[in-house]
Amino acid sequence: MATFELYRRSTIGMCLTETLDEMVQNGTLSPELAIQVLVQFDKSMTEALETQVKSKVSIKGHLHTYRFCDNVWTFILQDALFKNEDSQENVGRVKIVACDSKLLTQ
Amino acid sequence: MAASTTSQVYIDVIEDVMVKVRDEFVNNGGPGEEVLKELQAMWESKMMQAGAVLGPIERSTAAKPTPGGPITPVHDLNVPYEGTDEYETPTADMLFPPTPLQTPIQTPLPGTGDNSTYNIPTGPSDYPSSGNDTGGNADGKGARPAPYMQSPSPWMNQRPPLDVNVAYVEGRDEADRGTSNQPPTQDFFTMPSGKRKRNDLTSQYNAGGYIPQQDGAGDATHGDFEIEVPPISQHHIYHQDVCISFVSGRGISINSHHTISKGKMSADLERSTSRIPQLDGPIPYDDDDVLSTPNIYNYGEVFSEDYNISNTPAPPEVPASTPALLVQNEVGNDFDDDDDDEPPLNEEDDDDLDDMEQGEDQNTHHLVLAQFDKVTRTKSRWKCTLKDGIMHINNKDILFNKATGEFEF
Repeated sequence: MATFELYRRSTIGMCLTETLDEMVQNGTLSPELAIQVLVQFDKSMTEALETQVKSKVSIKGHLHTYRFCDNVWTFILQDALFKNEDSQENVGRVKIVACDSKLLTQ
Repeated sequence: MAASTTSQVYIDVIEDVMVKVRDEFVNNGGPGEEVLKELQAMWESKMMQAGAVLGPIERSTAAKPTPGGPITPVHDLNVPYEGTDEYETPTADMLFPPTPLQTPIQTPLPGTGDNSTYNIPTGPSDYPSSGNDTGGNADGKGARPAPYMQSPSPWMNQRPPLDVNVAYVEGRDEADRGTSNQPPTQDFFTMPSGKRKRNDLTSQYNAGGYIPQQDGAGDATHGDFEIEVPPISQHHIYHQDVCISFVSGRGISINSHHTISKGKMSADLERSTSRIPQLDGPIPYDDDDVLSTPNIYNYGEVFSEDYNISNTPAPPEVPASTPALLVQNEVGNDFDDDDDDEPPLNEEDDDDLDDMEQGEDQNTHHLVLAQFDKVTRTKSRWKCTLKDGIMHINNKDILFNKATGEFEF
C-alpha cells in the first residue's frame, strides 16, 4: 500500500515524531525501528481518514500564492473562510498542502 | 462534537499503530513491550498537552479484572474521597487543647536531659487524618483534577495498594514496621548551658587576649588604631554628618556633628606618608588610562563605585583602528565598468511574496494537509476538490472526508 508522508506534519504526526526522536536520542529505540513506526503511522492515518471520517468542508478565500511541484499543490490563502457542518472559522492566512490522490490508487 | 470525533480517531490511530508495530518490538530481538508501552504513553501525553486528544483515554483493549478473581480495594489518591462514613469535623479545641498558663515541666534543653526525648519512632500516625475532609465542599467536585491530569494510559495506574501512613524501609519485615530501628538523635550540643563568657574563647590564646591572624594577608600596622566616637543621640541618628580623618601614625578618628542634611557624607581622606603595602587584591596596572573598565578598585585619588559594571578589570588592550572605506572603483576590475548601469537581478521580485515565504515555515499556525482530486482554473478563479484531510485551524484539529475550495487570485 502506497502512503504519503504528508500527515507527519499534523499534530498527531509531530507528537509521534518528537516522541520517537527523544527515544532514539536516549538510546531506547533504534533509528530503523523509529522509521518503521513512522511508516506504519502513514498507513494507519490514511486508512483512518478513508474509513472513519465522513465530514465535508468548504473553503473560500483570496489566493495569495499557488505552487505545483512534484505532484504537490501548495496554496496560501488570505482571509479564508472554512465552513463545516458544525461551525465556521475565519482565518487570516492559511497554507494548504495537497498531494495527488491518484498516486495512492496506482 | 467534531473535537470528540477527532480525538477518537486519533486514539484509534495510536492503537492501530501500536498493534501493527508490536511484532517488531517484541520479536526479532526488538527492544521489548515495555519500550512500546513507553512510546505509547509519551505519544498520548504529548497529544494531551497539545489538546488534540481529550482525556481520559478509554480503550476497548484495556485489561479488565476477571469476574471471579479477588478484588483488592485500591483508593486513588488523586481523586477526593467520597465515602459514606461521616466523621466529626475536628475543631480547634480538639486538635489543640488549651495550654495552661504556667508550664509545670521545664522544657529540657538539648544536651541537658536524656536523649530519649528526641527518639522519634516512624510508626503509624495517631493523629486524625484530615486529608479526606472536603473542607465544606458538599459535592467534592471542585477538587477533582482536570481530565488532562490523568495518567496517559491505564498501565501506568496499575500499582499495588500502598499504606501512606507507614514508613516503608527496604529489607525490613512486615512485623517490624510498627517499631522503629532508628537510633536516637545524636547530641551535638556540647556547650555548657548558660551564656558564653568572653574569656572562654580568649583564654586559650595569648595572655593579652590577642588572637593571631592565621589566614589571609597580614596587614603591616603603623601605630595603634584608635576610634573615638562621641555619644550620638538616637533621635538624630539619621541626621549625622560623619567626618572621617586618617591621621598618620595615630589611627582613625570619627567625629559626628548634628546636621540636618540626610544621607550626605563628606569624607576627608588624608594620605599618610607611611604607606601600607598591598598584599591582596588585583595588582593595578601602571597606566590607568588603558583600562577597559572604569577604575573600581580605587587606585586613584577619587573613590568611585559603579554597580553596573563587571568587578574585574580587563588587561590593557590596544584599540583597533576602524578600517577606511574603500572606493568601489579602486577594487573593481576594468571590465566591470560596462555593467554599472544594469539593475540588480532581484529588482523585479515581489517583495510581498518574499515576506510571506520568510515566515511561512516558522510561524504557520493554520495548516491544511489533504489529497487533491482535481484543481481547475478559469481566468483568476480557482476551484479544487480535496479529500482525506486534516485542518489545524485556530488551535483545533478538524478532519474531513471531502472539501471544496474556491479561491480568487
